[in-house]
Amino acid sequence: MKRRHLLTAGAAFGATLAAPALVRAQSASTLKFIPQADLTVLDPHWTTAYVTRNHGYLVFDTLYGQDSSYAASPQMVAGHTIENGGLLWNLTLRPGLKWHDGTPVLASDCVASIQRWAKRDAFGGALMAATDELSAPDDKTIRFKLKKLFPLLPDALGKSPSVMPAMMPARLAATDAFTQVQEMVGSGPYKFVASERVPGAKAVYARNEAYVPRADGKTDWTAGPKIAHFDRVEWNTIPDPATAAAALQSGEQDWWDYATADLIPLLKKAKGVKVSVQDPSGQIAIMRMNHLQPPFNNPAIRRAILGAVDQSDVMQAVVGTDQAMWHDGVGVFCPGTPFATAAGMEVLTSKRDYAKVKADLKAAGYNGEKVVLIVASDFPVLKAMADVGADFLQKAGLNVDYQALDWGTVLKRRTSKDPIDKGGWNIFFTAWAGTDMLNPAGHLSLRGDGEKGWFGWPTSPEIESLRNAWFDAPDEATQKKLCDQIQRQVFVDVPYIPLGQYLQATAYRDTLTGVNNGFAMFWNVKRV
Amino acid sequence: MFAYILRRVAATIPVMAVVALFVFSLLYIAPGDPAAIIAGDQASPADIERIRISLGLDRPFLVRFGSWVWDVLNGDLGTSIFTNLPVTHMIAQRIQPTLSLMAITLAISLTIAIPLGVVAAWKQGTMIDRVAMVFSTLGFSVPVFVVGYVLAYVFALSLDWVPVQGYTPIEQGVVPWFLNLILPSIALGLIYMALIARITRATMLEVLSQDYVRTARAKGAGQRAILFVHALKNAAVPIVTIVGIGFASLIGGAVVTESVFAIPGLGRLTVDAILRRDYPVIQGVVLMFSFVYVLVNLAVDLLYTLFDPRIRY
Repeated sequence: MKRRHLLTAGAAFGATLAAPALVRAQSASTLKFIPQADLTVLDPHWTTAYVTRNHGYLVFDTLYGQDSSYAASPQMVAGHTIENGGLLWNLTLRPGLKWHDGTPVLASDCVASIQRWAKRDAFGGALMAATDELSAPDDKTIRFKLKKLFPLLPDALGKSPSVMPAMMPARLAATDAFTQVQEMVGSGPYKFVASERVPGAKAVYARNEAYVPRADGKTDWTAGPKIAHFDRVEWNTIPDPATAAAALQSGEQDWWDYATADLIPLLKKAKGVKVSVQDPSGQIAIMRMNHLQPPFNNPAIRRAILGAVDQSDVMQAVVGTDQAMWHDGVGVFCPGTPFATAAGMEVLTSKRDYAKVKADLKAAGYNGEKVVLIVASDFPVLKAMADVGADFLQKAGLNVDYQALDWGTVLKRRTSKDPIDKGGWNIFFTAWAGTDMLNPAGHLSLRGDGEKGWFGWPTSPEIESLRNAWFDAPDEATQKKLCDQIQRQVFVDVPYIPLGQYLQATAYRDTLTGVNNGFAMFWNVKRV
Repeated sequence: MFAYILRRVAATIPVMAVVALFVFSLLYIAPGDPAAIIAGDQASPADIERIRISLGLDRPFLVRFGSWVWDVLNGDLGTSIFTNLPVTHMIAQRIQPTLSLMAITLAISLTIAIPLGVVAAWKQGTMIDRVAMVFSTLGFSVPVFVVGYVLAYVFALSLDWVPVQGYTPIEQGVVPWFLNLILPSIALGLIYMALIARITRATMLEVLSQDYVRTARAKGAGQRAILFVHALKNAAVPIVTIVGIGFASLIGGAVVTESVFAIPGLGRLTVDAILRRDYPVIQGVVLMFSFVYVLVNLAVDLLYTLFDPRIRY
């Protein structure tokens, strides 16, 4: 080879190496986003997965929005009127709303959507239980004739936690609530580009040019005007956290939804990357016991366990020692929200005394029965909770059988009501979004509805009665008093044990502005 | 020869049938429930049961197996429980990245490993031989994900020569396609290179000690001709064998490599499907991989005849 050829080849190779710029995420109109998990299920009514809820808010819209003070405000509706002493609600749709297929949004579409959603959502179920008739007297009016007062109607229809009260055309809403819809046609600020979807890797959204944002209000969580600045939003699933962090640092991606706790210090030091906590409600860790099987079918044993729980230990294991990222002293309702209360909290916040817990357990009749912990070892956060949980249970003198499984197996195993020698279980650990625990409406883990309830199947007529009273309460002051009572009753019946609140950091390029508070929402965000 | 190929292709049918039954049975008895995963953490037991019924997961084993086999025989691998998309479509979407990764890995591995093994045998006992074998031992010992992270840190994050992650289809440009795959291919290929280099060295040592090589030297043949024309051709059969066997480890390694470099290939599809218990996708991918593996072995058998004319089928 001649020297000239070698130099030519070298120059060509150099140009080749410079080419990565071609694949960078610097397009002014495309936002490249790494979601918290892969988007496998698209139907926001069909699953409670938060990643699907986040996708849902791009494609679909809701009748009401929820702001950062957790108050509902009109979103698709222009407003509503209340008649007959609160028993007749007429909701009027805003003009100009269109589905992504170009057809107008009709009240009958919304009626069908509400009916489908309510079959999958506890808050929706409570609303429909209070509803005598839901109808669409004309194209713009959604009418609720109620059997009893339900002042939280806008809150139910504007709730931001899963299950999202997404509105869809009646032809899609007619799909059985337990079968996934086949098409993504909403009326939200972005359209789903089905042709570019690669499950497990990529989801693409294009701006809905026909979207009419609200003219009034301020953009705050899901409330107010939703203005889409990017032409396209691309979700790129990157399963490995270290790779996700590197992709953000290099500028290949613009935004990483769930920056993992161990990589936050690195990202905080990285040039061009901003780390922040957008959702002050974070996640609430919980320990759930099986109330159908010994030893936790004994309420005195469950109460004794409360004395063994150290929330700060659990939280440090989950997110580290930076106390800005977690809170202990967490009760039944999400800290910092209207119904959070200190009532009865001393059972969790007083000094931990394991000798007393042991004595209480013995007095309650604990005889060294095996306690099976089913642990999702493939979820680092859940595993950390379980590791600390196993430790404090052992310190309390329980005979712990720690069974490391994968999350899929935990989900299956926890459906078993059998004794532990026949594949049953005693304890599992999980975490819920703080917004799921704002109030008793969507807070499934405090329910005491027995075998038809959530896994663990606690029975507590007292809690159920207080919850029903909360729905009927005429004002917030009464609701707050009821929440005090609910929390005290939770510490008597112990349907679950709160293990603390941890906050989730998000990380994005510092060229992005307008990243909204709350979960990952894509309106208002722009590149400067 | 043609009859042999036909016989071998026909022999894949019982192999596939056994694989199908084995995979289906294994998934049936494995713990986990896709309905529970779909419904999410907060779903009630009643919701999960309704979803299970709507997905047909409550049907007896034989009914489900029979229905699946019938669909497969009609060219339909089923529909993903989660994404509602046909499994064939999902495999088609993912096959290009994996094939590209494997092709570049294979090309790099063979280009480096065979000359390395030949030179190591030629210079047996020298520093070159020792360096080659240290490289080979390292290749065996260091896990793919460690190599992947180190390569990404050095060449993507620090030097900014190539992208950290992702995949660009070849239709969008050969250069970005290649740049996205170069680091994963090296990471994935390292163990493969090590394996081929060691086998090449060992086989070459054996061949180089044979009489006909001495004769070739005595006749005045050059070193290059002796190594690459006379010796390597005769050493090729074991090397080709190990290339074929190593293909299985490439498939396994692709799972990790695709995760580390966020390449949307079949490896990630398989892992995701297993974690979610997306039975139709798992079954489809395993069937496809086993078919490909059988074909690779057939190709290896046919290549024998190319390198050793004494072998006839």
